[in-house]
Amino acid sequence: MKERRKHFFINKPLQIRYMAYTTFTLLTISIIALVSLYIGIWGSVLDSFSDERIRNDLLIASRLTEYEQARLPSEADPLSTLSFFKQAEKLSQRQREIFKDILDETNRKLIAKLFLLFFFIAWGSIYLSHKIAGPLYRFHITLEEIEKGNLKTRIHLRRFDEAQFLADRFNRTIESLDFTFSRLKNIVAENSSDLDRLVPRLREVLGQIQTSVDKS
Amino acid sequence: MSINHNLTKFLILSLLFGFLGSSPAAGYVPTPEEAILLSKIEKDSAQYFIRMSDKVTGLTRDSSQTGSPASIAATGFALAAVAIGQSRGWIPKDYAYDQLKKTLTTLVSTAEHKNGFYYHFLDARSGRRVWSSEASSIDTALLVAGALLAAQYYPGTEIEAMAHRIYERVDWKWMMNNSSLICMGWKPESGFLPYYWDSYNELIILQALAIGSPTYPVPPEAWEAWIRTEEEYNGKWIIYSHSGSLFTYQYSQAFIDFRELDDQGINYFENSKNATVANWEFSSSFQTQYRGYMNSSWGLSASVGPGGYKAYGAKPGQAIHDGTIAPYAALSSIVFTPEESIRAARYFYEELHDNLYGHFGFKGAFNLDKNWWAQEYLGIDQGITVLMLENFLNDGIVWQKFMKLKPIQRWVELCKLKAVSVID
Repeated sequence: MKERRKHFFINKPLQIRYMAYTTFTLLTISIIALVSLYIGIWGSVLDSFSDERIRNDLLIASRLTEYEQARLPSEADPLSTLSFFKQAEKLSQRQREIFKDILDETNRKLIAKLFLLFFFIAWGSIYLSHKIAGPLYRFHITLEEIEKGNLKTRIHLRRFDEAQFLADRFNRTIESLDFTFSRLKNIVAENSSDLDRLVPRLREVLGQIQTSVDKS
Repeated sequence: MSINHNLTKFLILSLLFGFLGSSPAAGYVPTPEEAILLSKIEKDSAQYFIRMSDKVTGLTRDSSQTGSPASIAATGFALAAVAIGQSRGWIPKDYAYDQLKKTLTTLVSTAEHKNGFYYHFLDARSGRRVWSSEASSIDTALLVAGALLAAQYYPGTEIEAMAHRIYERVDWKWMMNNSSLICMGWKPESGFLPYYWDSYNELIILQALAIGSPTYPVPPEAWEAWIRTEEEYNGKWIIYSHSGSLFTYQYSQAFIDFRELDDQGINYFENSKNATVANWEFSSSFQTQYRGYMNSSWGLSASVGPGGYKAYGAKPGQAIHDGTIAPYAALSSIVFTPEESIRAARYFYEELHDNLYGHFGFKGAFNLDKNWWAQEYLGIDQGITVLMLENFLNDGIVWQKFMKLKPIQRWVELCKLKAVSVID
């Protein structure tokens, strides 16, 4: 049989708080990544393909083709169509190099930023999990004390720890048990020489406690 | 008063000239005024390599044109020019050392290469390959030559160690692609280029470094494999390059002293001398057609021109020309034709100064017929100018230092390049 959740908000403030933490973190990462990509790529593209840079690259492409033709006599005539194709090819190759450089550089910067983000995320995760792990540990220690029979123990959480309401409820429960057992001890101490009075008073107190041996 | 003034000037020039020394490198003694002018040109040209080298990587831009990538040949010339500049006191010692160290560190660690062969064009800031350029054999050779020359100026330092590391890393044999010649280059996308260094030109420096390599040498037979095509021009028999460009007769000889080397009866120094005279004669024969060709205005070599960069040249060879003169070509021939080169230098400097001379020496080229003047400087043009002027003005110091390199001595020995004096 499926156990369907009827209510997703069991503890609305806690759940909303955690939703905000997660959303804020993811949003920060996304914004930094997107801004880095946008500025990294488009900033470099606009710079690399400014009118001046394109003009310079055209001149260099032309010059490098002329160098090849000067060095290799069998190459095409400088004024032939093939020469223009070669210049265009050189320019195209250069533009691919520029794009590759831009992407490589952007990736390098992005990786550096992501490392920084990972650090903050890791630190944030430890901080957030500590707000839950801390109380769980204190519950664990306190329950161990109770198991050993120490009902004087109480849970004390830090100011911003989660599960404050649970700790309060737990402490009230322990207090109640402590009170009950203290009362029993007092009854025993006060009536240890008079068993006729002791037994009915113990029965009275124990009768208020529901246990597994009681018949329903 | 006037006599005293002239006497003082004479004494100053004499002292300066005394420092510069005579010029046995070319067998011609320049006047003090000429020596001062040439020294200024050399110094200004060397400034290109300070201003056009990246402040972080040290890689040198191909040209002063905006957006120009770094070129490894220009970087090689920069290594040589900075070392020379420091030795001449034009560049502070610490600055020069840092610049060389920075450049060599980039070349050793970050500049992209394939088996030691650097890509022709690199991003000056990162050292990464750009413009889909090839891993170039000749440009790597020029880079290595510049690095080894710089190393000779800094013996026992990390400059020397890094320069030799760069050289020893080059796998010259791989660049032969299982053939008998050295390939021009290799691209990651398409492999070896379908072109080989198969005939006379600037390839000699490449051959020398490849054969003399202590780590990956090419067999000495490679020296015999390239063609030495000979042709007569105005009564001179010349082993010529296809383009007939002057730079092809200069690049190798900026480093290697061929004056006393004989290659089976061929003396390449004399050959370059003849080719330079032929270049001068060729342009002189067209003086009626082109205003820029004069007895004092010559130099047909690969350069920028009104229609872009071309392998301008003279006979013998393809001899493409349109009236465009490259000042560096005449100037860098100074060890072959000192009087003609100095005459040209004076004409370019004194008559065309406003349009042709700038912060880094002479600009690329000019064409009087089209009233066209290059607005840019090229690294390799300024580089060859510095090296050749240094050889001329400073008693062949570049040759002396380069010829002391063991790999070069090994190449001389393996290729049986006998000293001319021994043959005589």
